[in-house]
Amino acid sequence: MKTWEKIKENPSLLEKYLIREKVINSVRSFFSDRLFHEVQTPILVPTPSCEANLEVFQTELKTFSGLKRKAFLIMSPEYSIKKLLSAGIGNCFEITRCFRNDEEISSSHNPEFTMLEWYRINASYLEIMEDFERLFVKIVKDLNPKTDLAKWVYQNRTYDISLPWIRITVSEAFEKFAGVDTEKLLSSKKLIKIAKERGYQVGKRTTWEEIFYQILFNEVEPSLKSTNKPYFLYDYPASQASLSKRKASDPRFAERFEVFLAGIELGNCFSELTDAKEQKARFIKDLKVRREMGKSKIAIDNELIKALSRGMPEVAGIAVGVDRLIMLTGDFPNISDTLFFPAKEIFDLPDT
Amino acid sequence: MSTINAGNITKGSFIIYKGTPHYVIKTDFMSPGKGSPIMRIKMKSAVTGAASEFTYKSNEQVEVADVTKKDMLFLYSDGSEVVFMDPRTYDQASVPAALVENKIGYLIPNQKCIVLWHDEAAIGVEIPPNVVLTVTEAHEAIAGNRVNAPKKPVKLETGIEIQAPIFIKTGDKISVDTSTGTYLSRVNQ
Repeated sequence: MKTWEKIKENPSLLEKYLIREKVINSVRSFFSDRLFHEVQTPILVPTPSCEANLEVFQTELKTFSGLKRKAFLIMSPEYSIKKLLSAGIGNCFEITRCFRNDEEISSSHNPEFTMLEWYRINASYLEIMEDFERLFVKIVKDLNPKTDLAKWVYQNRTYDISLPWIRITVSEAFEKFAGVDTEKLLSSKKLIKIAKERGYQVGKRTTWEEIFYQILFNEVEPSLKSTNKPYFLYDYPASQASLSKRKASDPRFAERFEVFLAGIELGNCFSELTDAKEQKARFIKDLKVRREMGKSKIAIDNELIKALSRGMPEVAGIAVGVDRLIMLTGDFPNISDTLFFPAKEIFDLPDT
Repeated sequence: MSTINAGNITKGSFIIYKGTPHYVIKTDFMSPGKGSPIMRIKMKSAVTGAASEFTYKSNEQVEVADVTKKDMLFLYSDGSEVVFMDPRTYDQASVPAALVENKIGYLIPNQKCIVLWHDEAAIGVEIPPNVVLTVTEAHEAIAGNRVNAPKKPVKLETGIEIQAPIFIKTGDKISVDTSTGTYLSRVNQ
């Protein structure tokens, strides 16, 4: 039975699906209270983000008179918003649909999803951490004003989400919970040797990045999770910088954080890279990896490079999966429980 | 010994983790921090029932447990183990109750099941897609919104409660879908 039929049969189900509406209202009021502009940028674009490991939905734009253009569905509204930041829009946010292809549909993934991004000018990732924890607490309180933040429950497990949340750097976390110091963490040779000793599968083609994430998820994360508090994991090794800028005080690391609650990644934040040249170099590298991996061909967004070179203010921004926010604040086990039309259901895909 | 790509591990399959067979209860394929894909597996030991979690590289080779199947009859559950019997040899085998999860409510004595074996040990059980159970408690339907909710809760002989149409009475035998826990039909005597 499809979700709409279940609701027809049991109208009381509707209430839980309407939590989405409440969460989105709460997000909008959070940002309008702070005088952020809400923007709408295109979902259909000629040049999508070019992250090496993500696959994009591709289509074609045709005009009646026969003109044709390659077109893609966005994986994030980031590139368009950055052009607006360069234009001088100031603090802003967007709630939009994003798409990722070629992924497994799981409890925390739907190929079409709702993304919230916000950007704060003349700010760094540290201010975004504060925004995030306050936003989350506001949503929880808006849904149920009586919630005791020290005893917030998700899926029968109690968490302490009172402020402030834990802030820990990647290198502190590796040292403390996995016994890997910074020197070993940043050395490909040493980290892979440690992985071998600890029984991880290591082959000729195993990369530093794969081992980094395996140790992160198998050794570091379980300890952080057992604190029953949400946490910001920040200062990623520079190779994982993506669109963030390097730390001025220690360029081996980048000003980036991810925020986790109940083992679920809720957001990814950067102090945004404003250097057009370095950004172009990273894009070229990403596109090279994409080619090697056989991902669909995309071009560099030269308009974005131009916007950066024309001067984008110092800015920090974050991408947050709204469906996951709803899943957590609404106490749902799966993302599909927050959607009227989960992809698995409408495309008739089996459970994985 | 056969192996598969970690990215292809499916829920409900058996893999070898730390040398012992484990039943996969949840899989999560993800690209952390936009990095290369990984496969997070939640599983239960087929020997002890203890839960574990491990994150594999999605292209990593993982050993699959070779599983053979045998028809057996459910005898009883003592809370920690579920016991089955081979109707031909009367041999008994037990499986950790943690592996049968919430499916025990579909089992009545002599229910035919498929028991899964690995290295001469019972490591799991497949319950039939639907089973017939007797209704032990069914209240008269309350008058009200019959268009939108023509169902009521009924209690079954194993103690579980499911939603059934309002015409179902105490003593009826009904067929139940064991994967969703939903009512399928009334079974004629």
